[in-house]
Amino acid sequence: MQDKRNIYTPLRAILTDVIEESPSIKTFVLVPEDKFAFKTGQFIELSVDGVGEAPFTPSSSPLVTEKLEVTVMKTGYVTEYMHMLKPGVFMGIRGPYGRGYPVETFFGKEVLILGGGCGLAPIRSLLYTLESIKDKLLKVILCYGSKTAADCIYKPLFDRLNSTEKFEAYRTVDKADEDWDGSVGVATTLLNMINININNSVAVVCGPPVMMKFGTIRLLEMGYSDDQIYLSMEKNMSCGLGKCGHCMMGEFFVCRDGPVFTYNEIKHNPEIWK
Amino acid sequence: MNITIEDLKKVRFFDHYTDDQLKIFIGISSIKEFKVKDVLFEQYDELKEIYVLLSGCLSLGISIAKEKRIRLGTLEDGQLFSWSAVFNPYISTAWVMATCPTKVLAIDAKKLTHEFEKNCEFGFKTMSKIAQTVSHRLSDTRFQLMNQLTL
Repeated sequence: MQDKRNIYTPLRAILTDVIEESPSIKTFVLVPEDKFAFKTGQFIELSVDGVGEAPFTPSSSPLVTEKLEVTVMKTGYVTEYMHMLKPGVFMGIRGPYGRGYPVETFFGKEVLILGGGCGLAPIRSLLYTLESIKDKLLKVILCYGSKTAADCIYKPLFDRLNSTEKFEAYRTVDKADEDWDGSVGVATTLLNMINININNSVAVVCGPPVMMKFGTIRLLEMGYSDDQIYLSMEKNMSCGLGKCGHCMMGEFFVCRDGPVFTYNEIKHNPEIWK
Repeated sequence: MNITIEDLKKVRFFDHYTDDQLKIFIGISSIKEFKVKDVLFEQYDELKEIYVLLSGCLSLGISIAKEKRIRLGTLEDGQLFSWSAVFNPYISTAWVMATCPTKVLAIDAKKLTHEFEKNCEFGFKTMSKIAQTVSHRLSDTRFQLMNQLTL
């Protein structure tokens, strides 16, 4: 049904709920007028009439086609407007676009996921997918860092994962207040506490560019090869089609060829961490 | 409290050591226990022991003024800390405090460096592990700094 639509015409979706995840991050629950399917890691263009559109990777399960959740950090004009929206308004969805996670290549392996800040949004969609195929995986470990405890999104997710067979979830904060009794330090410090068979695992990194850079360096130090590390280059996503050129990264158009790449595919690009 | 080779084999820091090398550690170490809010050492203290966290929880940080502690990180089981004890001027760069009942292996730093001189292979392996700990701490600190600069 998506194929017959003009590629620039959005699918209408009603906003049914807005969940405040942190002081600057909200999750928008949308019910599209048609079923909307995507693969985990693929992204969409979410628009507000008369305001504009921006690219986001859905944070909901790809197995659910009647409802879509998109987690949005307030960073600019469009996202600030989105944060003022109330349930009942219509929004537009274009997509899905790009290449998601090749989860079938994770079968029989341990999966290490390193996330930071709002990067947990696409990771949550991946986690839903991995939960649905957990019989084919050996282990899934999530290591997540946020600036403060208040900035941590999807807080109930961690307890749920830790009570799910084959899943482990750890979180840390850069800056702790008196009430925080968990780990303190950047996301990479969590890698000191995990047990993983690196030779039979893949690593997924998603978060702010600084975290992705230091996270990738630490994974390489741990013994991961360039092909075992998957990076989601969310910051480069633009029009969704690879036509506007803003997503160009070396030989790749992130909108078309990504946003998920192995480190091996993009490591020679000097723009990778910018 | 005695510690055995089998006990050390369960601790991440001691991966890849031979039994003979683990015996060296046992000969120059003791187990120390700390209660909640016990300070293992203060920033700028002279250090005589290098520690490996066996169990429990420790916070690490710096002080910017008397009584004003800033917590920069936590340590995980099997991590080495107080590495300044083997480097001149042997002065701590941070404070470490227990935040739950904690057990550490305290290794006499002077005896350890003496063992390095006697046994180069043991010395190289241990200094490599210490260098890796310092390297990770430096990398994490740069990561924290970049987070602050890019706010």
